[in-house]
Amino acid sequence: MLVAEGLVGGYGGADILKGVSMRLDAREIVVIIGPNGAGKSTVMKAVFGLVALREGRITFDGQDIARLPTEQRVRRGLAYVPQERNVFVSLSVHENLEMGAFVRSTVPRSVYDRVYTLFPPLAEKRRQAAGELSGGQRQMLAVGRALMVEPKVLLLDEPTAGLSPRAMDEIFACIRAINREGVAILMVEQNAKQALGLAHRGYVLATGENRFTDTGAALLANREVAESFLGGGH
Amino acid sequence: MIEFINNYLVPGLILGSIYALGAIGVSMIYSILRFAHFAHGDLMTFGAYLAYAVVVAADWPPLVALPFAIAGTAAAALVIDNLAYRPFRKSRPIVVVIASFGVALMLRAAIMLIWGVQPAPYVEGIEPPLESLEPFRIHEKHIIIVGTALVLVIALHLLLTRTKMGKAMRAMSDDADLARVTGIGTERVIAWTWIVGAVLAAAAGVLMAIDTQIKPTLGWDQLLPLFAAAILGGLGRPYGAILGGLVIGMVEELSSYPAWDTVQIFGAKLLELDKPIISPGYKTGLAFAIMIIMLIWRPQGLLRGRVL
Repeated sequence: MLVAEGLVGGYGGADILKGVSMRLDAREIVVIIGPNGAGKSTVMKAVFGLVALREGRITFDGQDIARLPTEQRVRRGLAYVPQERNVFVSLSVHENLEMGAFVRSTVPRSVYDRVYTLFPPLAEKRRQAAGELSGGQRQMLAVGRALMVEPKVLLLDEPTAGLSPRAMDEIFACIRAINREGVAILMVEQNAKQALGLAHRGYVLATGENRFTDTGAALLANREVAESFLGGGH
Repeated sequence: MIEFINNYLVPGLILGSIYALGAIGVSMIYSILRFAHFAHGDLMTFGAYLAYAVVVAADWPPLVALPFAIAGTAAAALVIDNLAYRPFRKSRPIVVVIASFGVALMLRAAIMLIWGVQPAPYVEGIEPPLESLEPFRIHEKHIIIVGTALVLVIALHLLLTRTKMGKAMRAMSDDADLARVTGIGTERVIAWTWIVGAVLAAAAGVLMAIDTQIKPTLGWDQLLPLFAAAILGGLGRPYGAILGGLVIGMVEELSSYPAWDTVQIFGAKLLELDKPIISPGYKTGLAFAIMIIMLIWRPQGLLRGRVL
């Protein structure tokens, strides 16, 4: 469904991506792991059009989207949740969701209900400013905001960064639930073991290139991956 | 007490209302477009002259000419943005600031070319204060100014809290990058920011000309207090800008309050204070001082806005 081939580019200086390729099929969860500076977040931003690409192709449902403005990518069913600063802090929870649906002219109530059902703490605090939420709730809101366009693909950049273990488990459970509803998920994650446990497939990146590609379970079982990228072998 | 209200409090409120309208635009443009709009004062002047043209041509009262001034100024702001600012959207902010400085000079020069440099009142003759409000010396124009400002501020509030575009303006002012990845049409939000800023600036210009008289430097002279008000309230905080405008307006007027009254209560005249606290000549300097103090002491402003 979503295919990136030979991506080369960065933020204007030296190339961070040196020919990364990646594929996300419908209803899949795919996790990108790798050391700092490997270009994990950059790949995701590139797919969403936030990185200047010198080379490479990105297709979505068979159509080339590499030159499309961000707004158009959102309209076609891609939604992206940045790692940090991913909610509008001075807007209320409900207003954040409204903004998530900005590209839609009408938003059925059921779309809000779905997000509030998925994330009950948000329903309780719908009139509160997003800046007053806890870290975990903020992350829920950021994901909920992205779900407002009913995307086919959800791009998550380290959704559990800085969260308590409990909040982390909650977010992972939500991600699984969202995926079960049919949303394909491409996710960058620091907590590689837990994320690979959840993933159908995984990519290991290093220095802007693909290193390993396999099913989540196979990557977890791979000794080399475990030693180099999962923090100690076992 | 009545003298105090008539000579200081009422003028402070009038000036504050006008500053508030102008400062809202400065504050929102700063937080959404990320630059200090130096031509904002001249947008005020432009609006004031458009109303003047209608007043002269159609012989209507200034308040009736206001909608025309507002519409014309909003259109002008959109044209200016497209020609002078849009090409620099991805440049460093200082580039756009300088561009806006150029626009300010050009606007003022155009105004002088079209309407001349001579100051003039909208309506000739002196109007007496409203008799029904004696002993307060309140003129009809004072009611018009404060009333118009109030209506516009309420309209702004409804726009920002009840409409999708208003909420998107607040969202983009919060975080423009996040607005972009959310799929918010940022160019549309920018266009609406100009419309809102220009509408309020035109109204501020017309109201200021109603209060005093029209002249080519009408708005330019207010630039410093407008920035002081926006910073005082917190950049990106429209309600802060209103508060900041009122405070700066009040402080400027109250600064020339003669202090001898207060001192004489103690019987002895210790100092020669039989003159204003601060000479009226320093009014604008006072706004500047407040701005500097805020930037050092609390750069995020009273309502926690963006740091300059």
